[in-house]
Amino acid sequence: MDELIYTLKQQIIEALNLEDMKPEDIDDNASLFGEGLGLDSIDALELIVMMEKNYGIKLKDPTQGKEIFKSVAVMADFIAKNRTK
Amino acid sequence: MMEKKEIYVLSAKQISVQQPLCEDWMSQPIEYQQPFNRSIDPSFKDYISPIEARRMGKILKRAIATSKEALKASGLETVDAIITGTGYGCIENTEFFLDALSKDGEQMLSPTYFMQSTHNTISSIVAIQMKNHGYNVTYAHKGTSFDSALQDAMLQLRLGKISSALVGGHDEMTETFYNILKKGGMMGHDDEMCGEAAVSVVVGARNDDYLCKILDFKMLHKPTMERLKAMAAKFKADFILTGISGDHKSDEAYIAEAKELFGDAKLLKYKHLFGESFTSSGLGFYVAAQCLKAGKIPTHLFVNPKDITDKKPSMILIFNHSDGTNYSLTLMEA
Amino acid sequence: MTDRILITGAGVVSAIGCGMAQTLDALLNNRSGVGPLVYLKTEHKEFPVGEVKMSDEGMRKHLNINDKEITTRTALMGMIALDEALKDAKITPEMIPNIGFISGTTVGGMDMSEQYYLDYVNNENHKEYIAVHDCGSCSEMTANHFGKFAFITTLSTACSSAANAIILGANMLRCGEADIVVVGGSECITKFHLNGFNSLMILDTQWCRPFDATRAGLNLGEGAAYLVLETEESAKKRGVKAQAILSGYGNACDAFHQTASSPDGEGAYRAMKEALQLADIQPDKIDYINAHGTGTPNNDLSESQAMKRLFGDKVPPMSSTKQFTGHTTSASGSIEAVFCILALQNGFVPVNLNWSQPIEDGVVPVHQPHKKELKHILCNAFGFGGNDSSLLISKPEL
Repeated sequence: MDELIYTLKQQIIEALNLEDMKPEDIDDNASLFGEGLGLDSIDALELIVMMEKNYGIKLKDPTQGKEIFKSVAVMADFIAKNRTK
Repeated sequence: MMEKKEIYVLSAKQISVQQPLCEDWMSQPIEYQQPFNRSIDPSFKDYISPIEARRMGKILKRAIATSKEALKASGLETVDAIITGTGYGCIENTEFFLDALSKDGEQMLSPTYFMQSTHNTISSIVAIQMKNHGYNVTYAHKGTSFDSALQDAMLQLRLGKISSALVGGHDEMTETFYNILKKGGMMGHDDEMCGEAAVSVVVGARNDDYLCKILDFKMLHKPTMERLKAMAAKFKADFILTGISGDHKSDEAYIAEAKELFGDAKLLKYKHLFGESFTSSGLGFYVAAQCLKAGKIPTHLFVNPKDITDKKPSMILIFNHSDGTNYSLTLMEA
Repeated sequence: MTDRILITGAGVVSAIGCGMAQTLDALLNNRSGVGPLVYLKTEHKEFPVGEVKMSDEGMRKHLNINDKEITTRTALMGMIALDEALKDAKITPEMIPNIGFISGTTVGGMDMSEQYYLDYVNNENHKEYIAVHDCGSCSEMTANHFGKFAFITTLSTACSSAANAIILGANMLRCGEADIVVVGGSECITKFHLNGFNSLMILDTQWCRPFDATRAGLNLGEGAAYLVLETEESAKKRGVKAQAILSGYGNACDAFHQTASSPDGEGAYRAMKEALQLADIQPDKIDYINAHGTGTPNNDLSESQAMKRLFGDKVPPMSSTKQFTGHTTSASGSIEAVFCILALQNGFVPVNLNWSQPIEDGVVPVHQPHKKELKHILCNAFGFGGNDSSLLISKPEL
């Protein structure tokens, strides 16, 4: 799981073009949206694309993103359970 | 018939292949040998937060930076309208999206690239940054895109619908698209240099530090020589700023036409410094405004060295003809 | 406004028909043109769309254009609509050099570029299409078919492009820059924006349901429409009658987000309010609102809020007509303006098709056939980037 979390952080940084950030800068349990990293609805869509590209998980309903992208830890957990790649 | 008001240029800022956000080009122009050059960018950190900047291509960052600088320099708190011209829009992001679509197919495409690819994203993002709810439109008509934006601002100022406007001309270019346009016969002729343009200008009512006045403006499509001559008679000036670009055949026709229309008026040029792009007429406007403000025309702008004079210019006519089909004449006064 | 802006001609082509007569018939008989994809070559067959029921070859034949001439689908549609508008306003070829042409589009020649992009990059094939990729070239291709207009320009504000073209035209007339301008827009469906909208997850795989609680997105459409705007003096001289009056218009920026509308519909509210103010008409005089109503969760709620802010609890009868045509993006402002003209002339409110459940805290649209004498109509067009515009179109004999 640790490896997945680290990789996931790298992929998030790349997908969202968080240029000056490193995986070490993102706390596993910090909220990604709202107060935390301050990401928005477009970022959520980019994460949906990223999840499909890297893990073969296709989210049909964008509103599911709110729950899944709460934090990196929550995201990793969801991916571990649903990945097809 | 609407009475023509005097409209003032309160500020004009640029990012281009010359030093950005300053007028160094007047005394220390940078010369280029390569046929295609991208702009010299300032640091954008002062204008855009990292979290916002991460999604933006160069064209958007430049639009924000020049807009903020132009607004600051104008002395106004806000403007009533934001009107933008762009010939080709956001090429970087269009390219990313088209590339992915063509090579990887129609799945898993990036919403950010699409969102940032539409022409009006430039004007919109400036409004979001400035929290401006005023009139906001984008023109995309090749080499008269900036001119169209300026025309709109002037119409509304005349109608009294607005008292100020931020008018922008923005185009970017990538290596890939440059080669495509060259293949299509649109760029890369002879000594032509392809550049990029980001110009933001504030126009409105007179203030103490204005750059110059806009006396009159006209746009024409495929006009007859007769119509052009009638216009030229109304738009008299000692100095004519042309858009000759280094494309020999086109320049020859351009100069011949200018001589026929404007007689002995001294011809000037700017694209040898700033390059050709769809909104380079915005850079021409900026050049004219800065020359009128400075009270001098740098020697390297004269087409004919024999015409060089240090006479203070009182009026400059910007004579733009895009592909010889769309013309605009802008008469500016010190 | 002191000097009246007359609409002396109109032309339209969309999923519900070619020309005003077919369009009126479809609107009166609640006949939608939205259905499965036929012409666009795309993987995404799951999305219903409002395609114009003609291939490019069909359109070229209709316009008598030979196969060797370079055309793009957006320009072809534009030519069909422009042809009808010019004829409707009794404009002859000799008059064209004194008339302005203002068109709105966002895709331009992208229908060709997206097919040939890899050729553009890698070889010499199809390079004749490179010069017609941009928006301005598309407007010129449309206009050139009819002669040399006095001036041409192109607006590109996404879904409010045509509406803004109409606004520019009106301002030009009021400033005395022209006596007659032809204004509107054209847009064809492309893979580029079909996939773009899909990446934003705002397309519905079912027939769209504007202002319905279960709405799930929009259906894309395509088409073109042009209006002939003319000064009263010019119309009198020519002996032509007004089809309608452009009484007012407004343009404001939502300045909230590049693809989402603000929750309180600020830009929409300001645009509609400005249109009313310019026309010097009170809210209670508006007989019908042709809403932007795309069917996305975001737009319809935002637009409802804007309407309630402006009209209080007396929101006039309103409907979206995008269930008929799909969302025709850049052309929607002029296509729907044409619907408003037809509504004024024939005394009916176009039905908000495919509706059953009201949005909580929303506005209930006209969902049954509704005959009504109409005098003043508001026509909304809201573009990505918060480019919000509203037109106020009125009956001439007032």
